[in-house]
Amino acid sequence: MTDSLVSLAGITKDYPKVATGGDRLRTLVSLMLRRGEFPHFRALDSIDLEVRRGESVALVGENGAGKSTLLKIIAGVARPTAGSVAVRGRVSALLELGSGFHPEYTGRENIYLSSAVMGLTHRETRAKVASIVEFADIGAHIDEPIKHYSSGMVVRLGFAVATALAPDLLITDEVLAVGDESFQKKCIQWLERYLDGGGTLLLCSHSMFHVQTLCSKAMWIHHGRARLFGESFDVTREYLTYHEEKRRAEATPAPALGGNMPRIVSAWTERADGTRAETFRQGEELVLQGIAYEPDDRSPVLLFGVVRADGTAVYGSPSNESGFVPAPVGERRFSFAIRFAAIALLPGKYTMRVHALDPEGLRLFDTVESEFVVTGETRDFGLVKLDHRWTEGGTTR
Amino acid sequence: MSAAPLMRHRWLLYELTRRELANRYAGSVSGLAWTFVQPIAQLAIYAFVFSQIFRAGVPAHYPGVTYTAFVAVALWPWIMFSEGAQRGMAAVSGNAGLIRKVALPAELLVYSTVIACYAIQLAGFVIVLTVLLAFGENIHVAGLPRALLLLVPYLLFATGVGLVLAALQTFLKDVEHGVGIVLNIVFYATPILYPLTLVPEAWRGALAMSPLAYFSERMRQVLLAGAPLEAGDALAALGCLAIFAAGLWMFRRLAPYFEDFL
Repeated sequence: MTDSLVSLAGITKDYPKVATGGDRLRTLVSLMLRRGEFPHFRALDSIDLEVRRGESVALVGENGAGKSTLLKIIAGVARPTAGSVAVRGRVSALLELGSGFHPEYTGRENIYLSSAVMGLTHRETRAKVASIVEFADIGAHIDEPIKHYSSGMVVRLGFAVATALAPDLLITDEVLAVGDESFQKKCIQWLERYLDGGGTLLLCSHSMFHVQTLCSKAMWIHHGRARLFGESFDVTREYLTYHEEKRRAEATPAPALGGNMPRIVSAWTERADGTRAETFRQGEELVLQGIAYEPDDRSPVLLFGVVRADGTAVYGSPSNESGFVPAPVGERRFSFAIRFAAIALLPGKYTMRVHALDPEGLRLFDTVESEFVVTGETRDFGLVKLDHRWTEGGTTR
Repeated sequence: MSAAPLMRHRWLLYELTRRELANRYAGSVSGLAWTFVQPIAQLAIYAFVFSQIFRAGVPAHYPGVTYTAFVAVALWPWIMFSEGAQRGMAAVSGNAGLIRKVALPAELLVYSTVIACYAIQLAGFVIVLTVLLAFGENIHVAGLPRALLLLVPYLLFATGVGLVLAALQTFLKDVEHGVGIVLNIVFYATPILYPLTLVPEAWRGALAMSPLAYFSERMRQVLLAGAPLEAGDALAALGCLAIFAAGLWMFRRLAPYFEDFL
């Protein structure tokens, strides 16, 4: 049997912009008069999708791509602005957290309510309640209001209700991500049995693992448009590649000069006489020199920190704490130096970190590291030599 | 305008109404008692102020009743209407969680709310009538079935108003503030504390057109004078049906967009 349960053609969804009262009023009037013009943004743009009985289709895409909106349209909760929706069979939809539960009612009352939404009579529901409660496995909480549930418990109950109704089509929106490990396993087992038994699944997930194990096909939605539709392995591979490339693009350093954020152009360690060095004797003078960049030509706030090689933080301090204001040296560039008259650090490898903050000292933008080694022979242990003196004791007891 | 969704979702309507009723008990210690105490207190105030201070009387064609009974018979239907319309107005925005995640005809939420209000206040009404009877007021018990029959179109009217308000309220939050004021004005513009005959001739015709005024007067005629049903009732019922249909039409036109606004 290859009859189609869902067929979407040219689905477009515009959400009205309703930030201001005027917008709301204008939208209300144009809706009443059936005129299409009101301020809006496009959440979905001409999506076509066909789901046949027995298929399992995943929707993947970034946050805000329109996956949930599409599921809402298929579930009948939202109506598309344009395009046609045809959905056949009994549909059970789990849209987001607490899907369709009323927060004020108890879990048990919500079971009756959800079942009634699906068209079950009070008596039919009563026969199923026991198995739903058992599957949800949330104990005595079933008779407490949903608003007191943890998000995991809500999902458990939602999943238990949705599955107990033996739907032809099950729609789930990222709900598997919430339950704990054992419940997730239980859900996936249930879903696999459901699919083996000829059930149809429409899933939206950020877990490529779930997509690949549960779904044969996948659609990648990108900024409201269908970017790719095909075998779930192919689609998830492309999708992951896209993310990989995006991450790499973000990681490449910004151009040497310019940019609109405060940066540390360079920073290095040197001796008291001004020669650059990376090795210092314990107790020697150490100077950290650097140049900072600030796009608005206002003196940035700087922050330094000393970290031992194993990551242990030793000490750090912001420039505004000492009232230091970096002096301009050329356009939008500021020089600074931090002098440690006698480094008290015990011998070892350290990193000096310098950060650039905005002139208000609120946001941290850039980090530059400079490694240095402290040498010396000592039987002291710890991080720093603390100034101390051994003396005769002042007490006889 | 089809009634098909109502048939298909009758279990849902039942469930929603049951829930709505159960919810009135939940949360407060005395629960339902408050829904009765409030109107009774209101009745006591009106009865005292208008019969003792203003010396308002009862028209001669209602023999054997005090001013208290005269007001009570019209006050309860008014409470049914005003509470039904106000709670119905909040039914959509108050159930945003449901509407945004479950595919259900949103009008059912308004229906269930208004029906629950009617059921509760009707129970209060029957209790009050029983008490008045026990105090020797001349209540025509035989008129009760006719009064209940009259309340059916009145329910349709309240539901129609509730539907319009609920739809508007979803788009414009201002509505609920305005409605409180309007209801207060309408209360005094409706012959509840006074008989229609006391209204100046020039306005009486216009006022009689109001379904609220019509049913207010009819409830008194039926319960205090044992009047039979008349042709005008059928006409009024048709009018109420038309108002309900118009409200439902407007509601259904806007309902697909509720989700966008909630």
